Amino acid sequence: MSAESQPTRKQRREAARAERVAAERAQAAAAQRRRRLMTVGGVLAAAAIVVVVAIVVSSGGGGSSASDRPAVAQKSSGAIPGQKEASEMLARIPQKGIYLGNPNAPVRVVEFADLQCPICREYSLQSLPQLIQDYVRTGKVRMEFRNLSFLGDDSVKAGQAASAAAQQNKLWNFADVLYYNQGEENSGYVTPQFIDRINKAAGVDPAEADAFAKTAAAQEPLGAANTLANQYGVNATPTILVGKRNGTLKAVNADATDANAYKSAIDAVLGQA
Amino acid sequence: MISDRHLRVAAIVLALAGLGIAGYLTYVHYEGIHPVCGLGGDCVKVQTSEWSKLAGIPVAVLGLIGYAVILVTLFVPGEQALIAGALTALVGFGFSAYLTYRELFTIDAICPWCVASAIVMTLLAIVTTARLMRAPTEQRGAIPYVG
Repeated sequence: MSAESQPTRKQRREAARAERVAAERAQAAAAQRRRRLMTVGGVLAAAAIVVVVAIVVSSGGGGSSASDRPAVAQKSSGAIPGQKEASEMLARIPQKGIYLGNPNAPVRVVEFADLQCPICREYSLQSLPQLIQDYVRTGKVRMEFRNLSFLGDDSVKAGQAASAAAQQNKLWNFADVLYYNQGEENSGYVTPQFIDRINKAAGVDPAEADAFAKTAAAQEPLGAANTLANQYGVNATPTILVGKRNGTLKAVNADATDANAYKSAIDAVLGQA
Repeated sequence: MISDRHLRVAAIVLALAGLGIAGYLTYVHYEGIHPVCGLGGDCVKVQTSEWSKLAGIPVAVLGLIGYAVILVTLFVPGEQALIAGALTALVGFGFSAYLTYRELFTIDAICPWCVASAIVMTLLAIVTTARLMRAPTEQRGAIPYVG
């Protein structure tokens, strides 16, 4: 009986071997787990470092916002950025309210813009000068600036000031100078002092503009712009509509900096006019 | 338990979906057209914000590159490819989370396409990390790859 219950030597050897193999397997599995966790931990750490660097670069304005944009107008004794350029671009071209150019021009170009919108700035500084030179100065096109203040508080303040500039027939100068000095979106840069400097550089009487901007009349151009935008289904800026003077307008789908695309659209309408 | 093969197929589908989204956003960026923007979103406001570019490169292009890299790693055998795929997806996930935070709290507008991309990238980060964790170290080079 007792001999039967006692494991034989062979059985003991086999049991010990099985135990050893199981321990080795457990050790190998633990080592594998450690290695796997280290790999995943390393990948997570590397990813975290890359993300932090990307966020730092992004927050530092590594995009188009800071590097290729003139600084926000600071206190300076000289002319502010864009004053000379706007003045030269618009010299001797008639302005009335939101309109620029010959009232009898055969073609109408309507620009829907938000003065805070960076792509509107690209359009205004890179495409608009050529269009004004080739079409407005030659009396072929009359332009309209329709302000959609939808990006935030700074847009609304800039839009009201733009209405006041329009009342003095200086809207196009005002918008161009403002684009040259456009700051970081919704950073609160559109202060009364900022508007005052843009007004002076654009040839707008600051006191008169300030008084007008507070009246209900300053809201009218903004309401009219919204109505027209709804009529044409405009829901983004910049949107450029082109058409015959009394005809239906059509949106131009083009990169804001591609002046040739706008020229083609205007030429097509001029060909029909 | 889901097999590695199923996880890999899921990752391929997700990467293709991400490529489609990022490809569309890249297309509208360079064509200067307005993206189709439903669900009460404001894609233009997001796409014209200062966070739409990283070091001058549109984030849509970065997303396109990221999804393409992940897709390529899914067809390359070996541990290095698994690591590269998971690393790219985790970086994409982290940066997407940051951009979504900016949309909600700084730009104050939501771009449904960007949110969709963030969701896809999050799922890809989960799937690729799960594959990396589950693949046996000694067999990583021998995982069957079905193209």
